Amino acid sequence: MRSKVFARRFVAALAFGVSSTAALTPAAARDLTIALSSNINTLDPDKSTTVGTDLSVAAHIYTPLVDRGPDLKLRPGLATKWEAIGDTAWRFTLREGVAFSNGEKLDAEAVKWNVERVLDPKTGARNKPWFTAISEVKAISPTVVEFVTKGAYPDLPDQMSMFLLMPPKWTAENNPSIAALGSGPYELVRFASGDRVVLKARKDYWGEKPAFDNVTFRIIPEDSSRIAALEAGDVDLITAFPTSEIARIKAGGKAEAGSVAGTRGMFIKLNGLKTPFKDNPKLWRALNLGIDRKAINDGLLDGLAQVSACQPLSPVYFGFNPDLKPAPYDPTQAKKLLAEAGFANELTMDLEVPTGRYIQASDIAQVVASQLGEIGVTVKLREMEFGAFMNKYIVAKNLGDSAYFGLGWPTLDAGGLLNFWERENPQSYWDNASFNEGAKAARSTNDAAKRTELYRKLTKQLCEDSPSIFMFFTPITYAQSKGIAWQARGDDWVRAIDIKTR
Amino acid sequence: MSFFAFLHRQRANWLGLLGAALLVLLLALALAGPWLGLPDPTRGDLRARMMAPTISWAGLGVHPLGTDQLGRDILSRIIAGSRVTLTIAGSAVILGGIVGVLLGLVAGYFGGWYDRVLMRLVDIQLAFPLMLLALLVVAALGPNLQNLIAVLALTSWVRYARIIRAQVLTVREREFVQAALAMGAGHARLLLRHILPNVLTPALVVATLELARTIVLEAGLSFLGLGIQPPAPSWGRMLADGRTYIASAWWIITLPGLALMLTVLSVNLLGDWLRDWLDPRADRH
Repeated sequence: MRSKVFARRFVAALAFGVSSTAALTPAAARDLTIALSSNINTLDPDKSTTVGTDLSVAAHIYTPLVDRGPDLKLRPGLATKWEAIGDTAWRFTLREGVAFSNGEKLDAEAVKWNVERVLDPKTGARNKPWFTAISEVKAISPTVVEFVTKGAYPDLPDQMSMFLLMPPKWTAENNPSIAALGSGPYELVRFASGDRVVLKARKDYWGEKPAFDNVTFRIIPEDSSRIAALEAGDVDLITAFPTSEIARIKAGGKAEAGSVAGTRGMFIKLNGLKTPFKDNPKLWRALNLGIDRKAINDGLLDGLAQVSACQPLSPVYFGFNPDLKPAPYDPTQAKKLLAEAGFANELTMDLEVPTGRYIQASDIAQVVASQLGEIGVTVKLREMEFGAFMNKYIVAKNLGDSAYFGLGWPTLDAGGLLNFWERENPQSYWDNASFNEGAKAARSTNDAAKRTELYRKLTKQLCEDSPSIFMFFTPITYAQSKGIAWQARGDDWVRAIDIKTR
Repeated sequence: MSFFAFLHRQRANWLGLLGAALLVLLLALALAGPWLGLPDPTRGDLRARMMAPTISWAGLGVHPLGTDQLGRDILSRIIAGSRVTLTIAGSAVILGGIVGVLLGLVAGYFGGWYDRVLMRLVDIQLAFPLMLLALLVVAALGPNLQNLIAVLALTSWVRYARIIRAQVLTVREREFVQAALAMGAGHARLLLRHILPNVLTPALVVATLELARTIVLEAGLSFLGLGIQPPAPSWGRMLADGRTYIASAWWIITLPGLALMLTVLSVNLLGDWLRDWLDPRADRH
């Protein structure tokens, strides 16, 4: 009797199994594992401004007002449309009926509460600088919210693409650093700092259903371990490894690899506040001509970097100046200029190199040092851990002669990036009255045409006078398993929602 | 006793002799390095980066051990790196040895408060992870040759102090010391003429073992980027640079790793043999 029942069940199970594989294959659980190179420090989207790790993970659970798609253009998120009201306000129209997964409403009041949370000193929000120019948030109706700003704030919608909205009640009762609950396509299953974050798809998500049911972010700092994990099939997507490994991964046949133009510009920042670089544009120009960017790009980065057009912006930024061209490599002219600047015989300078942050930084710095050696400049390398460097650079305001440094601005707007050369910015190390005024003027209007014109002037000036040597935009390298297709992007976002199955 | 008779008597300790021979070879290479006609270890050719080793039965080839990620010759970098490593480790061991022996002498000979304070200091330092101490000091003072030597000496003096103190405690009570004391010898004369020569043997053994440990510690600091600054070559740094390319260019990390392993192994073998050979109680073959 018993065996008969068993047999019947077995047959039924078999039949079900057959039918399910026939009819329900697309519904089978689809898992995705993404490997990150740095730790996730917090799940609280207001306590981090690091897009590549913390915000990328949080963006699965929380949603922004405005979303930046893989084509690097803004698209509707929670807001369906947005417009500038004069020079001092932005109005967003929200989707109707969106709720957090605990049922709390995501309406204009919730948006207002989120901004107030950031501005409240007790929160200790890291993204507060994005909001200090906002004087008031008005909930005009449940679906219309207006940001009143102190002056013009032209890139406010861009900045909102990095602002993830949290549920007011839940946030007050929980610790959002280690727990998370939002309105996004995924919900948190497990967060083990230093190891992994496990997410699963929400059943009642209001937007388009994501392609994967379970998403895991794993922290694997070592480049070679990340590549090995991909080739072993343990992870599906890895980024940020040396360009030389692309060909090898492709040749291995187990995964696909490639790269896209990045949006982080690398440059050598000269300390324009002290000798020898203070008020010495000739010396800057000499060094600018003494670096063979093409040789570095071809030799170390397999030609995948995009050489900077003598400005901190790449063509995807608003305000890019198409009239400027990359500096040529001209050691003879460089030597001549060096002599005119008063360093015919010898110039010795320190080059500080933060480690563990920028792709192949140490190798690139060593090549720069040897190239400058050819024109008679002795470069002494000073490597230091990234945190220690930032301390010296921003907190102690004690930059050495120069540093190999990179800057990108996820709003892809000239405003955010060019301000780093304005005197009042702690990272400036340059004091040029006309540049300071120009930057201020460009910030005072929301008018795109006027801003374009002003930024053209500023980039031109940076190219002619600035104590920074613009190098290139490092490529974002990536490799993926053959079952998925990541819409590779040049900014730092790494999100499962940009991945489709194949 | 001729050299060959010595070798013959030491034949049972062939491992120790092997260690000594390897170390002598390494020292010779390190000293002769600049005159071997090898390529400049700090200048690379980007067009010749990550070239596989060319050594074979037919000959050495252009880059016998290949080139690294900046196209620099690995053989010349290993040899130049050995100069750096041996200079730092050797100086640190000697400096730490001098300080440690002197403090050990003082603690053992005078006893009392000197002893108590010094030995508690030793306890504190032994309880503190040496790598962490080294990391902290280098991070605070900045990485350069002098700081590295100082920090490695700082991690090394305690072992000498401990062992020398114990030796002094036994030697101090021996008749010849008492006799010298009775004849009116001063502290300095007693310590330097009568006690020091009798406690130096164990210090020598400690020194060899410390040398091996210091080499590894120096490589560790360089690996973490706190060693001597590039482009000057050092083994730990070469390991750190090579780990990213372990799958595509194994020689960048493997060959300096082998050099490091062989060096530490030979120093350890030499140390073991010295310990046996210098121990009066051991049976001397």
